[in-house]
Amino acid sequence: MSWLDRDRTIAPPGFNRWLIPPAALAVHLCIGQAYATSVYKTALVAHFDASLVQIGVIFSIAIVMLGLSAAVLGTWVDTNGPRKAMFVAALFWSGGFLVGSLGIFTDQLWLVYVGYGFIGGIGLGIGYISPVSTLIKWFPDRPGLATGMAIMGFGGGALIASPVSTALLRFYDPNSGAANWVANGDSVGKLFLTLAVIYFAYMMFGALTIKVPAAGWVPAGFDPSKVRAHALVTSNHVSAKNAIRTRQFWLVWIVLFCNVTAGIGILEQAAPMIQDFFRQNDGNSLVSATVAGGFVGLLSLANMGGRFIWSATSDKTGRKNIYMVYLGVGTVMYLLLALFGPSTTALYVVLAFVIISFYGGGFATAPAYLRDLFGTFQVGAIHGRLLTAWSAAGIAGPLIVNSFLDAQGAPGELTAAAYQPALLTMVGLLVVGFVANLFVRPVHSSYHEPERPLVGATVGEARA
Amino acid sequence: MRALQLIVGWALVGIPLAFGIYQTLTRVAALFG
Repeated sequence: MSWLDRDRTIAPPGFNRWLIPPAALAVHLCIGQAYATSVYKTALVAHFDASLVQIGVIFSIAIVMLGLSAAVLGTWVDTNGPRKAMFVAALFWSGGFLVGSLGIFTDQLWLVYVGYGFIGGIGLGIGYISPVSTLIKWFPDRPGLATGMAIMGFGGGALIASPVSTALLRFYDPNSGAANWVANGDSVGKLFLTLAVIYFAYMMFGALTIKVPAAGWVPAGFDPSKVRAHALVTSNHVSAKNAIRTRQFWLVWIVLFCNVTAGIGILEQAAPMIQDFFRQNDGNSLVSATVAGGFVGLLSLANMGGRFIWSATSDKTGRKNIYMVYLGVGTVMYLLLALFGPSTTALYVVLAFVIISFYGGGFATAPAYLRDLFGTFQVGAIHGRLLTAWSAAGIAGPLIVNSFLDAQGAPGELTAAAYQPALLTMVGLLVVGFVANLFVRPVHSSYHEPERPLVGATVGEARA
Repeated sequence: MRALQLIVGWALVGIPLAFGIYQTLTRVAALFG
């Protein structure tokens, strides 16, 4: 298995660095399937005769494992290089589907928890961080653009997985033409098997294509001194172990946590929320279920587009400034949504679109922010530790929104006013994030690695 | 050869992504239709 070693992935002279983004995208497009689980959620509820909550646990385990495995295995990923990490991620992600399918075929829900949730979740975590530090090293001149392209794939993966999964379920289930059709368990099991094969092949394309830059490599025309001219962009390096001891790491953790919590609050409730906002006195909503479905699709596009556009923009504006926009303008947008959202659907849609684009942007800009503050040495490992903020937000966001809504009334009877307390809480959270971001300063030199060749970093990386 | 690699690499991710975006946009059309 030496072909997986970091040394075997060093790019030859003349290698085109623009081959790296599709390699990274291949992995992120696959693991982005995690956001498309709603396609077979109802089918699993019927197959296992379980509650929505019991089936929802599958996704929750996967997201918690994403954060944990990224945090725990981040240093391993940085040390062993992207190819080995992508290969292992492919094994776990596909293995998760295989074990999950076994659970479906044998009517054992716990096996689906272990398979898709636990094993697949580890694949999610390793896969998510595997290309990040490599991209930053290939694009020292445009780290925001590079990581934005890859992390955009995580948002885009669901856009592909959703229609493909629906088509496969229809293909595998002979009763798919029936009215009010819900896919049977057998067809979901076969879907899992098919996805395991497709995703393994795609992720292996990424693993075989990815390369790390050779020692001393810098892009043509790139002047590292220009990067150093910005106060918040360091030319030094901080290890992952030291990074979590700095105030800067925890400030960025708070920033990401607040941004993600606020975004998840809307995303998780997107379809019923737009219907509730425009519910009339007779109890009917001006927004039909079909239109609400279209709105969810629009938010998916905002999530994906924001990851690329805002992260790429951060290369020009600086990372701290773009987070000021995400959190500052986001605060105003949330406030407008809470106070004036019910006035017109157009205003509501525009506000939600921008808010979710900031949510995506916050994810995609984080690796470049970490690179600016801590250097490239163990940026993947530091990013992995930062993703625990995502896991925490994944619990906090829905909890905040659902707790407020439960206190306001039953689903299907709620109105815009019922959402105000939750939205105003999100406004408060965004203000906390904005203030945390204000306090981000360069990392003190006592945390810097000594001036010597760094394990896992090339001369070119050090110059970046 | 390198150009071909680049084209194939981007096509492998670009085509599925374009398909996903197209499928989503057709759903989004319900918002405006």
